[in-house]
Amino acid sequence: MDENMLCTKTHEYVLGKNDKYEVGITDYAIEQLGDIVFVELPDINSEFSKGEVFATIESVKAASEIYMPISGKVVEVNEEIVNSPELLNDEAYAEKWLIKIESDADQVEFADLLDYSDYKEEVE
Amino acid sequence: MTKQTFLHDRHIELGARMVDFAGWDMPVQYSSIIEEHKTVRENVGLFDVSHMGELIVHGEDALPFLNKIVPQNISKLVDKKAVYCQLPNKQGGLIDDLIIYKLEDKKYLIIANASRVDEDLNWMTRNQLGFNVEIENISHKYSLIAVQGPKACDLIMSLGENYLPPFFSIKRSELFNINVWLSRTGYTGEDGVEIMVKNEFAEYMWDKLLEAGKEYGIKPIGLGARDTLRLEAALHLYGNDLNEDTTPIEAGLGWSIPKDKEDDYNGKEVIMRQIKEGAGKKLIGFRMLDKSIARHEYEVYSNGEKVGFVTSGGVSPIRGENIGLAYVYPPLDNYNVGSTIQIMIREKLHDAEIVKLPFVAKRNKG
Repeated sequence: MDENMLCTKTHEYVLGKNDKYEVGITDYAIEQLGDIVFVELPDINSEFSKGEVFATIESVKAASEIYMPISGKVVEVNEEIVNSPELLNDEAYAEKWLIKIESDADQVEFADLLDYSDYKEEVE
Repeated sequence: MTKQTFLHDRHIELGARMVDFAGWDMPVQYSSIIEEHKTVRENVGLFDVSHMGELIVHGEDALPFLNKIVPQNISKLVDKKAVYCQLPNKQGGLIDDLIIYKLEDKKYLIIANASRVDEDLNWMTRNQLGFNVEIENISHKYSLIAVQGPKACDLIMSLGENYLPPFFSIKRSELFNINVWLSRTGYTGEDGVEIMVKNEFAEYMWDKLLEAGKEYGIKPIGLGARDTLRLEAALHLYGNDLNEDTTPIEAGLGWSIPKDKEDDYNGKEVIMRQIKEGAGKKLIGFRMLDKSIARHEYEVYSNGEKVGFVTSGGVSPIRGENIGLAYVYPPLDNYNVGSTIQIMIREKLHDAEIVKLPFVAKRNKG
C-alpha cells in the first residue's frame, strides 16, 4: 500500500496521482471481506459527492457498499477487477484501485481522512 | 454474553475469523471460504458444530410423545437409525427442523439448531402434559465435531473402526480411546460422520483428527463454507428457508412426511390438507444468469410483478455461478424448472432461471 494514501473510517482510500485520484478499498478491508466474488463499478463520467455510494463489492458472505472518500467525477474504472474480482485477493496483483476520478475537492473534504499509518493504528 | 464452544481456543490458534452465530462466537473462516468449500468437496473437512443442541427424550411414553410432536413416523424407527424431522406448531409452521436418533427402546437423541434449542424445549414442555417422558438438554455436556468429504470415511476407518454406521445411523464407538457417538450424518451433501464427544475430550479429539487427517488433506472448515456447502446441497437453513410461518410442504419437505401415519400430530390437519390441495407458497431453486448475487430477503419478480422473496443466496463454488432459494406465491404452476424469474438487486432486476434441486448432486447415500 502506498504510504501517501488517505483513508476513510469506512475503509476506502484516495491517492493523488498527477492530476487525478485513485480510489479503492484498503488492504485491511480486503482481508476482512475474504473471498471477493463480485465488483460493481459506476459508469465513466458519473459524478458523486463525498460519502455517496459509488460501488458494491461482494464477498462470499455479504455485499458491501463502497463510499466516495471525496467528491469527484469518474474518468476511469478498473475493468480488470470487474472481470476478475478475485484479483483483489491476489497479493501479487498491484493495480487494486477501483476507479480514477477528477476532483476539485477542497481542504474541508480532506479534513476527516486519515494518513495510512494512522488508519492502520485505528483498525489494528 | 457470547457463548464459546470447548474448541474456541483452537479456532483462535488456527487463525480463524470469529463471528457471532446464534449467540455463539464461532469461526466463519480459517483461510478462504472458497478454498475450504473445495476442500470438503474434494478431500475432507473438520467442523466444530458444538453450538448445535442435543436433547435426550426418554421414558415410558417417549415414542408416543415424539409421534405427537413430529410428522414423521417414529414408530418405524429402529434402534440406532435416524430420521430427518420437523417440529411443527398447530398451524403446521416450523418451530425447528431436527434429526432424531433412536438410541434404544424409549430413548431418543435429538439434534436441534443452536438458535432454536430454547424454543424447542419450551414447545416440547408445553406438549409434555399426559406423557410419561423426560426431556433432558445435554447440549452443555457434549461437543459435536463433523468430518465431511469424500475422504471422511477413509479417515475414520483408518482409526481402527471395523465398520461405519450406514447413512443416517449412529453407533457407540471409541476413537483414540475416547467414547463417542459416531453418526453417519452431516450438512454438506458429502459423505461423512458427526462425532459427539464429552466436552473434556473435545480438544483432544479435534487435535487427533487434524493430525490423522493430514494425509487425507484435512482442513478446518468455518461456518462460511458450511453455508455454501449446504446451499449447493439445497439443505434448508432454519431462520432463512424455514420459520414458524412456513409449513414443511411449502418448504419442499413433503418427501420426508409419511402420508399414512395414523397418530395425530401438531399441524397434521394443515399439512395433510396442503399435501392434497396444494400449499400457499413454494420453495424454488434458481441460478443467476449474470454475475450478480442474490441474497437473503431480496425480492423475486415475474412479468414485472413482485411474486416472492429470496431466502438463501450466494455463490456456488462448484457450479461456478450464483444460486439461491426463494419462496414464490400462487399461481405456483408458473414456476417450473426452466422458467425465468427476476431478482431485484440494488434497484435493478436481474434474470435468473429456475433449476432442479439440489444444485450439486449429493454423495452421501452411504
